Amino acid sequence: MKFRLLHKFFFAFLTVGIVVVAVAGFLIEGELKTDLTMRIGEETAAEARIIALMPTGEIARQAGELAERARARLTLIDIAGRVIADSEAGSRELDNHLDRPEIQEALRAGIGKAVRYSLSLKKDMIYVAVPLQEGSRTTGYIRLSRPLTEIALATYGMGKTVFAIILAIVGVSLTIALLFSLKMLSPIRRLAAFAGQVRTGSISGTLRIDSRDEIGQLSDSINEMVSALQEKIQTADAERRKLESVFSSMREGVIVLDAENRIESVNQGIEEMTGRRHRDVIGKTLLEAFRNSKLHDALERFRATEETVSEEIGLGDHRPVMMDVTISAIHGKTEAERKTMLVFHDVTRLKKLERIRTDFVANVTHEIRTPLTAIIGFVETLQQGAIDDRGKALEFLRTIHENAQRLNRLIDDLLILTGIELGETNFHPERLTIEDALEQAMAVVAERISEKKLKLLKEIRQDLPPIRADRDSLIQILLNLLDNAVKFTPEGGTITFTASPGAEQDLIVRIADSGVGIPKGEIPRLGERFYRADKTRSRELGGTGLGLSIVKHLMKAHRGRMVIESALGRGTTVSLHFPLAQETT
Amino acid sequence: MEEKRHINIHYDKELREVKDSLIYVGALTEKAIEQGMNALLNRDTELARLVIANDALIDRLDTEIEEKCIRLLALRQPAARDLRFIATAIKINGHLERIGDMAANIAEKAIILNQEPLLKPYVDLPRMAEVAQGMIKESLDAFINEDVALAHKVRGDDAIIDNLNEQIFRELLTFMMEDPHTIHRSLIISQISKLLERVSDHAEGIADMVIYMVTGQSVRHKPASAENG
Repeated sequence: MKFRLLHKFFFAFLTVGIVVVAVAGFLIEGELKTDLTMRIGEETAAEARIIALMPTGEIARQAGELAERARARLTLIDIAGRVIADSEAGSRELDNHLDRPEIQEALRAGIGKAVRYSLSLKKDMIYVAVPLQEGSRTTGYIRLSRPLTEIALATYGMGKTVFAIILAIVGVSLTIALLFSLKMLSPIRRLAAFAGQVRTGSISGTLRIDSRDEIGQLSDSINEMVSALQEKIQTADAERRKLESVFSSMREGVIVLDAENRIESVNQGIEEMTGRRHRDVIGKTLLEAFRNSKLHDALERFRATEETVSEEIGLGDHRPVMMDVTISAIHGKTEAERKTMLVFHDVTRLKKLERIRTDFVANVTHEIRTPLTAIIGFVETLQQGAIDDRGKALEFLRTIHENAQRLNRLIDDLLILTGIELGETNFHPERLTIEDALEQAMAVVAERISEKKLKLLKEIRQDLPPIRADRDSLIQILLNLLDNAVKFTPEGGTITFTASPGAEQDLIVRIADSGVGIPKGEIPRLGERFYRADKTRSRELGGTGLGLSIVKHLMKAHRGRMVIESALGRGTTVSLHFPLAQETT
Repeated sequence: MEEKRHINIHYDKELREVKDSLIYVGALTEKAIEQGMNALLNRDTELARLVIANDALIDRLDTEIEEKCIRLLALRQPAARDLRFIATAIKINGHLERIGDMAANIAEKAIILNQEPLLKPYVDLPRMAEVAQGMIKESLDAFINEDVALAHKVRGDDAIIDNLNEQIFRELLTFMMEDPHTIHRSLIISQISKLLERVSDHAEGIADMVIYMVTGQSVRHKPASAENG
């Protein structure tokens, strides 16, 4: 950069200098040459005229001496061009001189001059010829010739001077170029460095250049530009940060697709909803990232219509999530800026609640109608005459009573559940040990356990801390779970009851059976009202479908929780986590 | 195709379309197997009918993808990597179509089984389905991400399926010997187990083709352990 500018200045000065000197030198040399040649020519012509006054014979005789005095070569030529005498060569050796330009000119104009290179003397020579006259008759010519060495010497001297001047110009222009470029370069380099800083983003202060010229003005404009730019960058930065935090903190999942329909960005919400990490999906298409045909169909529909599309889609590998997807366009100035935004609402919970509600209505009507149908049926049969058959009538009445009781149980259970849920049930928490409660619950199911020849294993540590719970609720919980275990364990099976301290200030009670087990997919739904994993069997066994639901809600009311694990064909384990009783109470 | 772009952007777009369509069919077959098995395990005849009906779409897309590939071969005369990709696409397409058919077959069997009482709670069959579904998923993931290591893993998983298939068969055999009434149901369950085994074979086939597509080396008909070790 520095050198380039320096070179430019240097060569500019140099060229101008050399051209001026060379042209001047050339012109002056030409002038000098013509001038000198003319002067020498005139001198020689004067001498030739003086010699021409002498008689011809005398000239021929004294040719050598005359030539020496005139410091020139003298040639005497007769009218026919033959050389009569020559001061430096023998006259015989010389050819006819009549065709020489100076002789021709002398014949015509009375005096002839010519400059040419003499082959015999190997020098530039000037030839001057004048006619010899006797009266009005021309008898011959006298020619004087001189070498032009003087001129060559003079021009050589001048050439040396010119060369010296050119050298001087080179020196001067180099110096001027150096000074000039240094003076100009320093601010320009600072400008460049500053611009570089601005480009990389590390701007420190403003640019100071104390100069009033164009460079000074330029630096002023740059300073203004940079400060305006900084302001804009700051605003954009703040805006971007704001958007980013909104983008990442919103619970809805957002995916932005670029113009080529590849995923440009996803937010935290998407990562949480789908379990896919940011780096696994960026740059991929929706199909590649989520491999969901419905999502792809929705996107295709959006592309076809260019209208916002809203669709419910199931996503997720491990945890199925129901998404409400809204696809809309982000309009850009150019085609490349056209983007697509997909906003995902997790409606899994909403969907689940909706399903529970409809299921509940369907279930409760079904559960009530079954015994009611039986009751109405038997009552009608009795009315139609069966009442007279005492044996049959008693049997029918017993069935009616059973069904009525089943209805009663159902309504009792529903009331318990509603009571807990609405917080209307009054609990009387007291310090209890698991062992007491278990004994009371066992009393109810003991008979059925022995009937089915089930083995009951109890592993209760002696030093267990007491828990704080409502006695009736605790018995109800254990009873419901034991009842389930007994129902779903085939004859000769085992039920294991364990109680041990948990890791987080709690007590864990486990009721494990060796029963049929529950399919994995059903487990999360077990606490729902009327939800039965094995529908036909459960009803046959006389359940209301509310047992686990009651346990779940009672545990919740006691700030505990219920966890169900199961393996098909191997059995089910229900774990109850009770918080420990505080010492102060 | 990801790194290098062709000068002809239409060619790029066409290759892209083939890949997208394959992934789309992959998504459908994955879903079909999942739903077919759910129809069986939850005794959901309605879902089974849906799976059978949906197979028509997979079949239609199968023909479409094949046509697209052949047109690409004819018009673009692909070389090297692109040629391998199209060859792979044609074969994967075939595998996916077969998996779709099997999902429909499973659904058909589920409808028959649903009309009879449950033989016994399914234990090994869901596990087998889980492994087979995992293999389909991973083979497709391997295809999308050109992940050779994952493709090798899929090849290894085939052994688990074979073991489960044998185990199920032995168990069914004891059922049939004990009670001839269970023979019909046992045979159908055995067929389902066999179908799942074949599904896993097709997943392995996809994995083979992914390895071929990325490395240019054919690993078909070679034991999985040989190149894993």
